Amino acid sequence: MSCRWIAHLDMDAFYASVELLRYPELRGSPVVVGGRRAPAPREDGSRRFPRLRDYVGRGVVTTATYEARALGVHSGMGLMKAAALAPDAVLLPADFDQYRKYSRLFKAAVAEVAPVIEDRGIDEIYIDLTAVPGVHAGEPGDPLAGLRAVARDIKARVKAATGLTCSIGATPNKLLSKLCSDLEKPDGLTLLTAADIPARIWPLPAKRINGIGPKASARLEKLGIHTIGDLAAADPLWLVSRFGANYGAWLHDAAHGRDERPVVTYSEPKSLSRETTFERDLHPREDREILGGIFTGLCEQLAADLRRKGYEARTIGIKLRYDDFRTVTREITLPEPTGDAGTIRRHAGLCLKRVPLDRRLRLLGVRAGGLCKTGASATPPAAEAAGPMTLPLFGEGIGGEAFEGGCR
Amino acid sequence: MVLIKTPRDTLLAPLQSVSGIVERRHTLPILSNVLLEKKGDNLTFLATDIEIQITTSSGGAGGDSDGAVTVGARKLQDILRSLPDSAEVSLTLDDKRLQVRAGKSRFSLQTLPADDFPRMVVAEGDGKHFQLTQKSFRQLLAKTQYAMAAQDVRYYLNGLLLLVEGKELRAVATDGHRLAYASVGIEAELPRQEIIVPRKTVLELNRLLADNDEPLNITLTANQVRFAFGSIVLVSKLIDGKFPDYERVVPATLKNHMVAGRQLLMQAMQRAAILTNEKFRGVRVVLGDNSLKLIAANAEQEEAQEEIEVQYTGDPLDIGFNVGYLLDVLNNLHSDEVQWSFNDANSSALITVPGDDCFKYVVMPMRI
Repeated sequence: MSCRWIAHLDMDAFYASVELLRYPELRGSPVVVGGRRAPAPREDGSRRFPRLRDYVGRGVVTTATYEARALGVHSGMGLMKAAALAPDAVLLPADFDQYRKYSRLFKAAVAEVAPVIEDRGIDEIYIDLTAVPGVHAGEPGDPLAGLRAVARDIKARVKAATGLTCSIGATPNKLLSKLCSDLEKPDGLTLLTAADIPARIWPLPAKRINGIGPKASARLEKLGIHTIGDLAAADPLWLVSRFGANYGAWLHDAAHGRDERPVVTYSEPKSLSRETTFERDLHPREDREILGGIFTGLCEQLAADLRRKGYEARTIGIKLRYDDFRTVTREITLPEPTGDAGTIRRHAGLCLKRVPLDRRLRLLGVRAGGLCKTGASATPPAAEAAGPMTLPLFGEGIGGEAFEGGCR
Repeated sequence: MVLIKTPRDTLLAPLQSVSGIVERRHTLPILSNVLLEKKGDNLTFLATDIEIQITTSSGGAGGDSDGAVTVGARKLQDILRSLPDSAEVSLTLDDKRLQVRAGKSRFSLQTLPADDFPRMVVAEGDGKHFQLTQKSFRQLLAKTQYAMAAQDVRYYLNGLLLLVEGKELRAVATDGHRLAYASVGIEAELPRQEIIVPRKTVLELNRLLADNDEPLNITLTANQVRFAFGSIVLVSKLIDGKFPDYERVVPATLKNHMVAGRQLLMQAMQRAAILTNEKFRGVRVVLGDNSLKLIAANAEQEEAQEEIEVQYTGDPLDIGFNVGYLLDVLNNLHSDEVQWSFNDANSSALITVPGDDCFKYVVMPMRI
């Protein structure tokens, strides 16, 4: 395993960049994609674009172009807050069909060069380059010439297939590659060997490591550990005593750039979920009917997701976020796996009884866990396969498409 | 202290007008109650589910004292309804209990204090106001309300769009697969305003409005709508959301037009519907020269065929629909004939009434 080459490829400002392909005149100006009902640009020849300043609502930024990021706007930020920072930025609605199309295109382009790909979502992948011809070749003065050529080839093919740029980090493992793909964004290419770790990796903040979240990061800060180098210098036994055997040992390895995880080309999803943030905070009692309708709708969507992907769930869970942003989850295990909307709704309802409902809610989600392939269980799958349905009047735009949740 | 002494119907009729919105099982017990308020000869009834509030009053209450109390709406209504028509009823309040007496019947009901009863803060001031007859508004509802969504995640579809502009009032309802539009002229000339009236309010209005030429006064404010008719005042909160742009959905140019007798078409559909798949309710509509065929089949492979004579000279078409969506509209129109216009089997169809611009129904086909 000592001579693996693993690349992490991350598309640059993916959703926003796809939109720029459609509206090239916006190139160079701040653009934000987001909002459930951001109005589409008017197609009356003049192409008038809605500005962020005119947005009223509680949508969040899904992606921002680098021009918008320069003004302080970032993914996950409320659109109204973003409007205060960049009132003149153009606001575009998310078009997930389009993003999925480009996602397939760029992955197909990479697969032509390097077929061992781990799918990490719509806009990022890990690629195992170890077996790619020529990758280990070096030139006098540049031992990484082969790797560099392969990575450049991948970038060029992605660009040719989609018109989009990506950033690649290529190192001996996934952990370092993930770190490196972010170092020279956008359109970056960062190669790194174990020998470069002290110079390139150790000065970075510890929280840049994928796996050190806000909580661990805060604890490390308190202990005086700020950079990855600080972490690498820490006594591994001391880390284990502070963070437990597993996590402590992992922290030590991660700081030294050690990671033996293979590139996994196929994995079964562990859970499927659907969630939605409301237009306004809803009160469990006063808005009972509205909430009930939304709740049922989420369960129906989840059942449809399960059916489409051919899974049944052994556990059903809910997620609530209160108006003060506190989030709670509850989960219940079913006597036997199900994919039926009614059963999901009933058990999600039981979960709901186990949480306090004394304040307004801003988010509601339903999750199906413990997935197994339909038919694997003793009970036959529900005989209500998708049948002929009346076509939608308004297209996909106003449906719950944008809430399609984590599928991993 | 006798609060009220009056013939049964003086109590029952107004109670029935307000009690329709009372939820059977509510988390707040007092919301199962109706508020009775007696002042002089006048008796006021008030019920609410927090979203909607209905008040009505009646005179001739009799009795010798004033007062106010809340009592279980459903129970009081059931008691009054099962008493003989001619019964003289008295309500007496003593020690937190309401005694209902009629002839030799006695009922003792628990009460909750009138002061605890939640009343909606009714918006005062400059709402937009207009008037039309109860009948014409009821017809507007009848032509559209069946197309409302019931429990859609897109919560703004679970209601009826009311839009005033100039001298016109429009109503639009859609569940995302079909859309019903109707308009009616009004006296007042108003700037454009649109509101979404919750489904429950619409159904309740449909129940309460009379089919007569008595006036209905409607007042729109930013977050409430108020309907006053007869002795009833209904105030409802609105659905806060953006209704889809219905004008975009109504097809502007359609090339194939069919005209058929409404009853004839509806009856053929009702028969064909018997053998549609219960879940999907698909029916094939096959159009040829002056002929319309309906073909339905269910999961058991049973089949129905109907053929009726229509006026049609357009392209031959074979197009699927949910028969429920078609029966809904045919059922709620009263014209002799309907016009049905198509482009092709994949795009929306439009149902209208010949010579009447005030009604449109758009329905999407289904792929069978």
